[in-house]
Amino acid sequence: MRHAAAKHRASKRHAPPHANPWRNTIAIGAGIGLLAGAVALLAVTSDAHAGPRARGGARTSVNHAGAGGHAVAPSRSANTNVNRNTQVNRSTNVSRNTSIDVHNDIDIDVDNGWHHGWYDDHPVATAAAVTTAVAVTAAVGSIVNSVPPSCVTTVVNGIAYQQCGSTWYQPQYAGTAVQYIVVNPPN
Amino acid sequence: MRRSSLFVVIVAIACAPALAHAQTGDVPSSAIMAAPQVQPEAVAALEKMSAYLRSLKQFGLHADTTIDLVMEDGQKLEFPGTLDYKVRSPNGLYIGMKSDRKERELYYDGKTLTVYGPRNKLYAQTPAPPTIAGLLALAEDKYGIELPLADLFLWGTARAPVSSLRSAAYVGPARIDGSVTDQYAFRQDGVDWQIWIEAGDKPLPRRMVITTTDDAAQPQYASTLRWNTNAAIRDGDFAFTPPKDAHRIELVAAQEVSP
Repeated sequence: MRHAAAKHRASKRHAPPHANPWRNTIAIGAGIGLLAGAVALLAVTSDAHAGPRARGGARTSVNHAGAGGHAVAPSRSANTNVNRNTQVNRSTNVSRNTSIDVHNDIDIDVDNGWHHGWYDDHPVATAAAVTTAVAVTAAVGSIVNSVPPSCVTTVVNGIAYQQCGSTWYQPQYAGTAVQYIVVNPPN
Repeated sequence: MRRSSLFVVIVAIACAPALAHAQTGDVPSSAIMAAPQVQPEAVAALEKMSAYLRSLKQFGLHADTTIDLVMEDGQKLEFPGTLDYKVRSPNGLYIGMKSDRKERELYYDGKTLTVYGPRNKLYAQTPAPPTIAGLLALAEDKYGIELPLADLFLWGTARAPVSSLRSAAYVGPARIDGSVTDQYAFRQDGVDWQIWIEAGDKPLPRRMVITTTDDAAQPQYASTLRWNTNAAIRDGDFAFTPPKDAHRIELVAAQEVSP
């Protein structure tokens, strides 16, 4: 854990240990849109480089339960900036982002990056080496914080996957946030 | 010759501040004057509340919360949410967290920790220590989950020593949700915080505001707490039974996540 913490600090793109990785949550833009209306959403997300991105947030407890002093954020964020293209594609679908009642994890739980720890689901893929759309180029072992909306949930041998064309993702919890790791297609 | 003159000048300039400081010969008085004041009455109120919290065998708690997120340009945005706790000492804990866009539940029954998303229908489970204190430490150290208002479980323990208070002050009486409370203000490394403690024989925290001071934007987390110390708590509150359409996934340790 300390190692992870050190690693966390070492990376310029990372937030301080307790500030966590929302700095990369460019789909805060989607959140803004949700609050301000569809027009604002379009305005924010039509430009992949526009819209606020969180770099930190308030602590939710004065004291720490752990031995490390500060909580280590689930290290979900590498460099989210690499994958803006995906953000554009997904967020321009206004109806998805403005509907609070959509019972789809990709919309609700993953699309909106905000809140500390419990709430910091990331909207944007964070795969280390992904430079274009996730579904096209994701390498096995890559981790992303969301998957394209076209992906479908597929259960194979009791394990839930997100299948996006030829790319298969296995969801996992990092802390309380869902992330997706690229896996080989299940047999 | 020119060179050595230049050298002397440079040395003189470099040393000037040190010399000046040596001449005055005293420690800046501001360090002493700014010494924070820790009012014993404020510390006593905190300890009284802590002792009362530790005496509770079980309780239910609802909190309305807001959290500030700091954007990269320094602007703060506020997001509301709710928290629901069910607690039975020493080994039963349920937390439900809701916002417009995300829901999570956490179940702990003394053996297993479950993280569940009621909307995404995904859950993860991992073996857990036998006490809530152990659970909180595991959640934070291994999984990077810092439970909101974890202080409720840490006050009155070695994890929240009053010696870490750099400042403690009584602000005055205040009314929260119709109840009379006393407002106190504390400062610790990295956080300024205020708490409103119910007056009377149930010194419960009724409101809390935590200001993160090691971020220049000073984001805040505010919560107003509604307690039910007579809540009916059942074993089933802490045991997670996955719905039929739920899928189990892995809970990965924080240090394994980073690519």
